[in-house]
Amino acid sequence: MIECQALGARQGSFRLTDVSFTVPAGGYGVVIGPAGSGKTTLLETIAGIVPVTSGTLRLHGADATMIAPETRGLGLVYQHAYLFPHLSVAANISYGAVSASVADEVTRRFGADELLGRPVHALSGGERQLVALARAFARRPAVMLLDEPFSALDPRRRTLVRREVRALHREWGLTTLQVTHDFTEAGLLGDVAVLLDTGRALQSGAPDELFRRPASPYIAEFLGAENVLAGTMRVLEEHAPDWLEGEAATIAHGYRAIEFTSGPLTLYTVGDFPAVAGHAVIRAEEIVLSPEAPSGSARNRYRGVVVEIATLGALTRVTIEVAGVPLVASLTTRSAKELALATGTPVTASFKAMAVHLC
Amino acid sequence: MPPAPPAAAQGRGLQRATAVLAALASSLLLLFLAVPIGKLIGAGGADGVRELASDAELRAALALTALTATAATLLGVVGGTPLAWLLARRDFRGRAVVSAVLDLPLLVPHPVAGIALLLLLGRDSAVGGALLAAGLRVVGTPLGIVAAMLFVAAPLFISGAREAFARVDARYEAVARTLGDPPLRAFRRVTLPLARRGLIASAVVMWARAVSEFGAIVVLTYNPKVASVLSYDRFTSFGLREALPVAAVLAVLALVPLTALRTLRDANDRGAP
Repeated sequence: MIECQALGARQGSFRLTDVSFTVPAGGYGVVIGPAGSGKTTLLETIAGIVPVTSGTLRLHGADATMIAPETRGLGLVYQHAYLFPHLSVAANISYGAVSASVADEVTRRFGADELLGRPVHALSGGERQLVALARAFARRPAVMLLDEPFSALDPRRRTLVRREVRALHREWGLTTLQVTHDFTEAGLLGDVAVLLDTGRALQSGAPDELFRRPASPYIAEFLGAENVLAGTMRVLEEHAPDWLEGEAATIAHGYRAIEFTSGPLTLYTVGDFPAVAGHAVIRAEEIVLSPEAPSGSARNRYRGVVVEIATLGALTRVTIEVAGVPLVASLTTRSAKELALATGTPVTASFKAMAVHLC
Repeated sequence: MPPAPPAAAQGRGLQRATAVLAALASSLLLLFLAVPIGKLIGAGGADGVRELASDAELRAALALTALTATAATLLGVVGGTPLAWLLARRDFRGRAVVSAVLDLPLLVPHPVAGIALLLLLGRDSAVGGALLAAGLRVVGTPLGIVAAMLFVAAPLFISGAREAFARVDARYEAVARTLGDPPLRAFRRVTLPLARRGLIASAVVMWARAVSEFGAIVVLTYNPKVASVLSYDRFTSFGLREALPVAAVLAVLALVPLTALRTLRDANDRGAP
């Protein structure tokens, strides 16, 4: 288990302040955040490379604040690998290995066995990352800290290595914390996600929770939400429109029906949002486009015109304009073709009340 | 091709004139540095080599110089390496003061350094008196020569070693620590090998500087004579002709570590770790 409680640290002029989150034993945590937000410093603080200046750090239940890095029982893989250039690939992997058999096993599993005969300085960035992963795993630590360890790998190799890391994590019961810029990776790997910015943890929780219920418009935009609308909210109480009856079950759980006005748009949502929220967030994949108003429980409906279509492989992002307000929908390229969308096409955008998050 | 506009032609002319002036200034400076040494070796080199066979005092002075410079360098490396690592890696209170203190011996005139050492190590001083009581006489002995050489040359080693350590990314040490190495083992297994070439180069510079020291040594230990003192002694007692062979041999001796240093640097530049 990794438990940070109001953790503070200083590296040069950079400060990590009041960082709190927990990755349970055997859990997989991901740290996301913009460049310079302190992600690497956080890992180095947990590793004991950067000293803790305030708060507490517990590893597997024991206070680790004053424990030396070599006795914390953890592994650290940097993005730039930091292979020892004066040693061979094999000597790098066996540097801190718990046994030769474990070193051999991880070397094989990461595909680094093909690199054993090559000098370190002749390895590519991706190959270095493979050797660095093998070196760290060969120690068989209880906690693994990974700083963008797949960033230099080609997409095919990245998928394979990510799967291998996940498998080792599961088989060995590791507690892992990984820094990533890749939101897909965060969703794929993480049980816990921590969003860091300017040395502070802005939000932490299950990745799905972070993506669907961002704590602020900044977090929503950072996490790739396309539709973040500023406006004002009003709790409806008994004046809820009829269609919100469909959300009766959630309202029965103490949620409130809310009307949110953003310029010419009026949205309806249901949730336990803060008393005052100035922004509505709707993820692009929650918006359904149709030539005409669809049936079903999707009750926020707006007629608009397609103004931009961008195809990104299997997905297509369609921007429609509703009374001057742009809304972005993400749909499969196949669906976009079936709808015969083109710039200027009138469409109806709709999304469920539960798809609207207020913050 | 249309003729170049007058402003462009004027610009090119100014550039050419600047380049010519820069080349001339550099060439003159290079000649000023190289010609005296070349002339010295040319005028006294052959005699110096001949005298090496016949002049026992010159041989003894050269041996004493090499021995004391080596001893001073070893002491400088042993004491200076941890200090250099500390200055390169740790941000501690008073680091600027320590750095300034280390620069001082390079800035004071060397006879002044000798006088300062005499105040510390002379028989009337507390330290000198204590050493004398322990049977160690510094002034007027090879120990005095080593002390003078250490004082004036060790800062060069520390400065070079500090640079060498600073060039090794601290994250290599961090990785070694997470792989189970305590700080000293991480230093021995990772930092030291990676900084090795820079450390050797710094030791060579220190040794060469120690060999060429005169001002501080002459105050502490005139006799027995190191090569620089012998050269000065022969110049003042017998004139230029007698001093030339000794001076030429000293100049050649300085070329040996310089050549070694350049070879090391070239190897470094070719991408060796």
